[in-house]
Amino acid sequence: MMASSYSAKDEDGHITVTGPGGAALRSKKPENTAFKQQRLPAWQPILTAGTVLPAFFIIGLIFIPIGIGLFVTSNNIREFEIDYTGVDESSPCFNCSQNFSWNSTQPCTCSIPFSLEQSYENNVFMYYGLSNFYQNHRRYVKSRDDSQLNGHLGSLKQPSKECEPYAKHENKPIAPCGAIANSMFNDTLELFYNDPNGTKVLIPLRATGIAWWTDKHVKFGNPGDGLNLTAEFQGTTKPVNWRKPVYELDSDPLNNGFINEDFIVWMRTAALPTFRKLYRIISRKDNMVPTLLRGNYTLEVVYNYPVRSFEGRKRMILSTISWMGGKNPFLGIAYITVGSVCFFLGVVLLIIHHKYGNRNNSADISN
Amino acid sequence: MYTALPILALSLFDQDVNDRWSFQYPQLYSPGQLNLYFSKKAFVRCMLHSAYSSLILFFIPWAAMHDTVRDDGKDIADYQSFALLAQTSLLVVVNTQLCLDTYYWTAVNQFFVWGSLAAYFAITFTMYSNGMFLIFTSSFPFMGTARNSLNQPNVWLTIFLSTLLCILPVVAIRFILLQIRPTINDKVRHKVRKEALPAPTPHRKPARRISTRKSGYAFSHSEGFGELVTSRRFLLKRPLKSRPVLFATTESPLAQNQPQHYRTITEEQDPSV
Repeated sequence: MMASSYSAKDEDGHITVTGPGGAALRSKKPENTAFKQQRLPAWQPILTAGTVLPAFFIIGLIFIPIGIGLFVTSNNIREFEIDYTGVDESSPCFNCSQNFSWNSTQPCTCSIPFSLEQSYENNVFMYYGLSNFYQNHRRYVKSRDDSQLNGHLGSLKQPSKECEPYAKHENKPIAPCGAIANSMFNDTLELFYNDPNGTKVLIPLRATGIAWWTDKHVKFGNPGDGLNLTAEFQGTTKPVNWRKPVYELDSDPLNNGFINEDFIVWMRTAALPTFRKLYRIISRKDNMVPTLLRGNYTLEVVYNYPVRSFEGRKRMILSTISWMGGKNPFLGIAYITVGSVCFFLGVVLLIIHHKYGNRNNSADISN
Repeated sequence: MYTALPILALSLFDQDVNDRWSFQYPQLYSPGQLNLYFSKKAFVRCMLHSAYSSLILFFIPWAAMHDTVRDDGKDIADYQSFALLAQTSLLVVVNTQLCLDTYYWTAVNQFFVWGSLAAYFAITFTMYSNGMFLIFTSSFPFMGTARNSLNQPNVWLTIFLSTLLCILPVVAIRFILLQIRPTINDKVRHKVRKEALPAPTPHRKPARRISTRKSGYAFSHSEGFGELVTSRRFLLKRPLKSRPVLFATTESPLAQNQPQHYRTITEEQDPSV
């Protein structure tokens, strides 16, 4: 007969059962620690009227002033937009938009007069905007070679497969490769102020400082040491749709090649089909004189970029800037709306609590 | 990675009320048995909530980024910044919703929630750093995005707005339901706040050898398979050879339908061995 002994189980300890042969078996009962028995010290919040109602009122009271601030700031930003695609027959750029071909050597120019109702102070930013242009198409976004753009010599001569079919042309590698680079915006915009006594004054436009610092100094880099770019790009060819090769984009050596800021700005693909990209900056002269006086202006366009084929539109935007960016009334309106709805909801909840709130306290806990 | 751990912590450590209160009010287990938490209605409610949240999490950043630029005039409405904005809003909303759903805040919960938010920002900044880009150029093309977009007050205001728009309806609906139709869980939690802990059940040496596991979450599954097993559908159809019954049970308490009482057995050495 077996000799086995049992010891009485007590609530809090391990039991050891001695089996046949005397070997001790551990029990499978979990240890009685706070962690394993779920007795950790804890905080147990519940939604009471005392926390929820003040929270709603406070959020309402915070959001409404923020919304008003945002809305007022946005309204104070001066913005002027002009569409120069030339869709209408009466538009100055109508002719340029019609007879367009890639092979024409004579660039088409048009000039559009406009007037500014108010003077613009501080730095004025000049943007070009495109509509119905899907820079967020997946295959388009992937069509680039970041190591080539970083100045990697191997990738310069052997662009990555993602760039296909814009990787090679006439058996030479394309630099920069890919569809994004190939479709770079190449209109030239110039601004003239029409003096009251009739002369046209060219407004100086600054082309540097328009791209992100990290893009210009880390992400994009010219191959080699960047001094003799024509030699470095020897053996490559320009993208199919470009008029000039990449090492002739600007005479300034710090803005030439892959680190040309217009190119960098274009390569940062936009998220939405209607977008604007920074083109030039009109720096402020000094605190006394407004940067752009009110009056008549002329926009001279060298019309190179065809958009009519996909029903796209081109526009030029002049805008001042504030701490919240460009003119965007949405955030201001949204904050005011949410703040008021929140406040109203707080009042409604207060009424509901007043009428029904005692059920929690007095009700028995029944089955 | 960022969202799995807090939810895991929630499922492991959350409690309605602690074990002593659960013993006091066994009605806490009835919602589980009545399948109130996993019904079709609950599922539809969940789906509506997630549809609403996803619309908010896309269209609020969309409207805020439409034709916008940074505070120094440069681009912010680009593909990468937009993606980062949507993702950050999502993380904040998910963690806040989790905080709302946790009724039992232990140190582990706190660590996981704050830790996951911190890990998100740490990993994002690492992935978008110069070093990673220079080493693995094609895998980390988002270089610089975090630095350039997350320093804009515009972006943080948008994140704040989407979080509040997703969370406030949930809080309002829960509060209204708490006032109008409090569930058993809510009533017990309310009592917990007001009254002291009930006395522990008197501790006596158990006459029965039943396992007394302490309960955590007041949750029990819907009715199990007892009905199926006792319906005799598993019994063999052909008759068995009749065997002599091992133990005549006509006089045992079981046959007489009374509760059984076990007594502790101490065996003596068998003198015949």
